[in-house]
Amino acid sequence: MIIRKMRHIVLLVLVTAVSVQGATVTLTFHQHATQNLFQTSDAVAEQISAFSLAFNQDISSLSLFANVGYSAFHQTGGLSYFAADLGLDHLVPAGAKSAFYFAAEGAGAFYGQEYEAFSTLGGSLTGVFKTYLAPSSILRVQWQGMYASYADSLFDFLSHAALLSIDKYFPTQTTLKADAEYGYKYFLHPFVPETADPLPEGGAVVMGAGGGGAGSWGSGAGWGGQRYEGGNGFIPRAGEGGAGIGHVSASVLAAQGIGDVVGLSASAMRQWIVSGENPFMSIEEFYLVPNPSSDAFSWDGHQLTGRITLDLPWSVEIKAGYTYSDKTYPGVESMGLDGLPLGIIRNDVRHLFEARLEKSFRFFSVFLAYSHIDNASTDPLFNWSSGYVMGGFQWNLPARRKGGLS
Amino acid sequence: MRRQAWLIPVLAALAAIPAAGQTTPEHYYDVDKEVRFEGAVREIVLEPRYKGSAPFLVLRVEESGQKTMVTVEISPSWFFGKDIHGGEKVKGIGSLSVGPDGTRTIIARELQFRGETVTLRDKRGFPSWQGGPRWRRGIRRFGGL
Repeated sequence: MIIRKMRHIVLLVLVTAVSVQGATVTLTFHQHATQNLFQTSDAVAEQISAFSLAFNQDISSLSLFANVGYSAFHQTGGLSYFAADLGLDHLVPAGAKSAFYFAAEGAGAFYGQEYEAFSTLGGSLTGVFKTYLAPSSILRVQWQGMYASYADSLFDFLSHAALLSIDKYFPTQTTLKADAEYGYKYFLHPFVPETADPLPEGGAVVMGAGGGGAGSWGSGAGWGGQRYEGGNGFIPRAGEGGAGIGHVSASVLAAQGIGDVVGLSASAMRQWIVSGENPFMSIEEFYLVPNPSSDAFSWDGHQLTGRITLDLPWSVEIKAGYTYSDKTYPGVESMGLDGLPLGIIRNDVRHLFEARLEKSFRFFSVFLAYSHIDNASTDPLFNWSSGYVMGGFQWNLPARRKGGLS
Repeated sequence: MRRQAWLIPVLAALAAIPAAGQTTPEHYYDVDKEVRFEGAVREIVLEPRYKGSAPFLVLRVEESGQKTMVTVEISPSWFFGKDIHGGEKVKGIGSLSVGPDGTRTIIARELQFRGETVTLRDKRGFPSWQGGPRWRRGIRRFGGL
């Protein structure tokens, strides 16, 4: 009910955004095409049109920002959703070389009835301190806390993450950077109260959208796929109270500029789960849905990334990258295609290739991007390989007088 | 809907706020005075530049081959969004103004460094930056370049 009412608020924000003078207003449109929307072996092709309007207004030293967007799914209409966020941020200088940054933000995503389980309202607080230890070295300390309430209350969570980062730039155009992070996510009530029934052959429990434990029997071939029959696709455990999962991670990055045109970077990250585990026995991807498990809190493993950036004449930019990741999801069981547990924790090894071409024109910019993923998983439902194409444009609306701050 | 009614006057009040960051007549983005600049960053500071606006990230750039310094005004809050260091080679496009004392200041529209171009304003000089934290916990999606 609250989520439905929020739609009216979002509309008011939109009207306000376009009426305020002196703001920065940006309109974007992205067109997506994927051969595997739900990222499972049960591939579903889809096209998505995403519109968004972003607004930024300075009020003294505060900045008010808002974004509203709508994503239309052409084949899987029930996944079409409306999203909005609204917040304030504040920059506080601490001398000429240091500053604090604070932001408070509320956000929501609203799906149709079929995927209503993932509709959410939430908020976040962010605090950052950044300082130049020397002209060529930056230290950053950052904290962010989040709360989200889902239509399916199983997913409601609180989380926080603290990051410490330090880098050093060398005259050879080389940058070295190291990060360390601690994060903790607490699902407030992820369990169903009664003992889960044993799984029948060829089926798996699929929670109803209300999360009240009135399960229905899924096909075992991917709830997000063609045989999706509603619900959230997650299998909760029986129990009481909340469940938390904590991690620490360390990462290093080396970046090298070559002349004015080429930028290279390589990074490595290792993450360890240090407390708890994922509260759900099964996790689905639900691509483009802000899935409560599709984040850095859910996995233990490592990731390697290489990127190249080419800054070409005529305002053309090309970026390409490759990422290898090996992630284990503690607490998440691999399921056979018959829906029965295989007795092993889910592990995914993924190869991701990405490329993006962007051209800026006088009034707007356009881009074309392609990604390809090979995902090998101990859960056969998540053995898949697929491509993804995205194109779009971004246009800054002339909400300020020419030549102003503007 | 009744509970949301209080939001209407709040939003209306926000809409009525005069444009923050109005500039003085001599300090604004003039597309007819665009120049290219190139050099090495010698100093990075946060400075108040406009009344009613957050401090701006400002670079003192030693221009290549000329050994002269130019002040390059970037944007507010970008201080946190991108890490730029002393000694880095940068080049870009911006609107030049010269103060009574001969001090040269460029309001940057485009900045290139480390093989990457950052667009700060469109080609008419309208700002492209947006507020909000840039460090949201990422949803695991691809196509993130």
